[in-house]
Amino acid sequence: MFKKRFNRSSKREKPSIDANENKKSESNQKENVFPSSSKDYLQTIKDHTNNPSDLVVKTISPNITVTYMNSLVDDRTLKEQLIPELIRHKFETPESLKSSLFIPEVDVDDQINHSVLSMYNGTVLIHLDGFSQVVLAKITTTVSRALAAPENESQVIGAQVGFNESLSSNESLIRRYIKNPELCNERFNVGKQTNTTVAFFYIKGIASEQMVNTLRQRISDLKIDSLLDSAVLAEYIDDNSLSPFPQMLLTERPDRFCDGLLNGKLGVIVDGSSMAILCPHAFIEFFQSREDQNLRWPIASFLRLLRFSAVFLSIYLTPLYVAALTFHYEIIPQSLLVPLSESRALVPFPPIIEALLLELIIELLREAGARLPTKVGQTIGIVGGIVIGTAAVQAGITSNILIIIVALSALASFTTPSYMMGNVIRVVRFPLILLAGFWGFYGIMLGFCFILIHLIRQSSLGSPYTAPFYPPRFMDWRDSIIRLPLPFTYKRQKSVRPQNEEKYQPEPINPEKS
Amino acid sequence: MKFIKVMFIFIFLLITIAGCAEQKLLEQVGLTTLLGYDLGENEKLSTTAVIRQVNPEFQSNVEIVSAENETARGSRAEINRKTSKKIMSGQMRVVLFGEELAEDGIAHHIDTLSKNSDTSGSIIVAVVEGETKSLLEYQFQEIDDIGTHIYKLLEQNIKNEQMISSSLHEVAHDYYSLGRDIAIPIIKRDKEHVEISGVALFDKGKMVGKLSTEESFYVKLSRDLYDSAMFEITIPKEALPESQTKNSPEKIPVVIDTINTKKQVKLINPQTPEFDMHITVNGRMLEIGANMDLDNPKNVKKLEEEIGKSIAKNLERVLVYCQDVNSDAFGLGEYYRSSVRHSNLTHEKWHELYSTAKVNIKVDFTILRSGIFE
Repeated sequence: MFKKRFNRSSKREKPSIDANENKKSESNQKENVFPSSSKDYLQTIKDHTNNPSDLVVKTISPNITVTYMNSLVDDRTLKEQLIPELIRHKFETPESLKSSLFIPEVDVDDQINHSVLSMYNGTVLIHLDGFSQVVLAKITTTVSRALAAPENESQVIGAQVGFNESLSSNESLIRRYIKNPELCNERFNVGKQTNTTVAFFYIKGIASEQMVNTLRQRISDLKIDSLLDSAVLAEYIDDNSLSPFPQMLLTERPDRFCDGLLNGKLGVIVDGSSMAILCPHAFIEFFQSREDQNLRWPIASFLRLLRFSAVFLSIYLTPLYVAALTFHYEIIPQSLLVPLSESRALVPFPPIIEALLLELIIELLREAGARLPTKVGQTIGIVGGIVIGTAAVQAGITSNILIIIVALSALASFTTPSYMMGNVIRVVRFPLILLAGFWGFYGIMLGFCFILIHLIRQSSLGSPYTAPFYPPRFMDWRDSIIRLPLPFTYKRQKSVRPQNEEKYQPEPINPEKS
Repeated sequence: MKFIKVMFIFIFLLITIAGCAEQKLLEQVGLTTLLGYDLGENEKLSTTAVIRQVNPEFQSNVEIVSAENETARGSRAEINRKTSKKIMSGQMRVVLFGEELAEDGIAHHIDTLSKNSDTSGSIIVAVVEGETKSLLEYQFQEIDDIGTHIYKLLEQNIKNEQMISSSLHEVAHDYYSLGRDIAIPIIKRDKEHVEISGVALFDKGKMVGKLSTEESFYVKLSRDLYDSAMFEITIPKEALPESQTKNSPEKIPVVIDTINTKKQVKLINPQTPEFDMHITVNGRMLEIGANMDLDNPKNVKKLEEEIGKSIAKNLERVLVYCQDVNSDAFGLGEYYRSSVRHSNLTHEKWHELYSTAKVNIKVDFTILRSGIFE
């Protein structure tokens, strides 16, 4: 609903902005070009950059002026390669300078704004006296931590490398996985203040062109102030930002990212963020892990089933307890009746208060553990688990059966490979507990229907969120809550609408051969 | 705007009707596990309830409360006045009827129990020899919770197919369906135990006869199908070849474990009426009171024949008794009704026919296995 409104308004505004920009660019065409004399050029640069302290201006020979940002340029390349080369040779035109420089990214430009902006990306501007063009030599230095194992999405078997905060090293990781000229990489600058580089990846010939266009449009249409993390970008560009359910996967695993690209998905990486966006992503895929591909198929299928049932367990176990004890004592099995009522007999609260209290305690523990330094966090876990758990039962605030249930459902929610989705599952439980406490099973069913309808209404980049179950795509069930052996899953998921549906031509399976 | 409106209505409803559902907190209800009905004084109904109480001080105990009133609901209200917790019947597992009440008629109670949405259809119904009140109020030394004990006793025997299944659902079905009468277990107190002593036969809602536990096997054989029940049967010594029956008693006991049974009933003459009942039993022999050479196929054949005859004989005896008391526990009426068109069968009409019905019983018995020797 809100989304639609947002879209409509943006459509209305768009043409007017474009028109304004066009006018401006026409009138400023001349002012935007660099002056040819060195002196005027320097003045222009200073005017456009507010003369910051890390701006370096050097005159190398009478006619060559070099300007760059000290903090962004690789010192070694500059001193050992660029400057000696500039001193050694004599250049007639910016074009000849460009061709003789031995630096990968060199360009010639006369637009002031663009050139100045590129200076903030680590470009050295080389100006030849008498020309209104500058040579842009990019020798960026990257300040980034070393590649490390992904902390949020660890897996036992498989690559142990995660993205870090530098776009170029993330790019190189992806290029190392997919050595293919069809892997497209588009760049955008997002954020008026931050000018963050956003890289958009897809494989030509696999990814749906319509989706590529949609996502490209959504990113380039963004008129936002700043962009510091990919999670923020995901919220800006997803289909329904009001939904608690994430519609795009945030992953820090390059192998998962590349697996997605190879299946026809689109990827977005934001400079400065260690999480990459992968879309379209169906609901069920949030519960799949890359590790499933590395394990034998029966084991992988079992783990997937386990994870998926854990979701239901996590969402419904506590509400079921509350509903059964408040309204439906009939359904409690006879053998459970005595222990259950005995443990409840001391508790002074109704089950709903008891359950909410304990769920809140668990959430507090989790939140405290996440905010504290790693070493202290572990201690908090022990303190919370042992002290609060046992003490609460002994003090008669909760029943010990509820402690088991709450701990179990918290545990189950942590099995979700996507942390974002795991959070949603934990939060969705609270309204369900309330509904269970108000109306018992009727309330739970109401909540269940509400969630189900909500999920069915969602889409991820236009593709159905609940695929392959609704709409049913039976071929895709082969790789959904179970994983069939690889020869059976040679097709890409239909909901992604890949241009090329088959990953490869499967050989006919011949049991006699093996 | 629509979204906000919907959310507003939803939250409004959530808040306003949050407390509307009737709460039945587990620790605040007294759970009736067993209910016994007896015929009281002056046409009144005497109700005895076994109520499970859970108190933090003395873990869990069982309270037995009885009351007399005209109606079941009335006595429930009366029982409620005698306990500290609200009486609920959702966890009820067994309903017992005193013998006197059963003879007077239980139709009304079956109707009431079926109508109550609180009680489940899987409640087991049984008759008590004598009064239920005295059975329930007796202080058994080794039985802690009489309600659960009787439930487990009956359930276990029904599951092992030693007794006719008598869940409320089935009893109500038998009661309301034309051409099949109720048959439910009878229990009694035997010193410090509760035991199943037989089967009560009903004509519509009134108890009219009793069968022993041994005979109940034949009722079940012709009523339902067997998968796993064990039964004992005797065959006369003379029937078997003499060489095989040295040093054995006059009547040789044989214990059979049924593996499966098949039943075919055909109406061959609607006037009399006359039925052909063909029962096929496959069984495993567990015990035999004679040193028979069962490796010899001839002996086995003979034995099978004799067992079949013996079953048929006993079945006929039970059937004659049922006809005598006019209780169609075999469900022959259903076959009649489904075979004769436009019969316009009524209960009275069928029972008239039933008392004169002739049934040709044929039992084929096959021994599939007779044990392993090493």
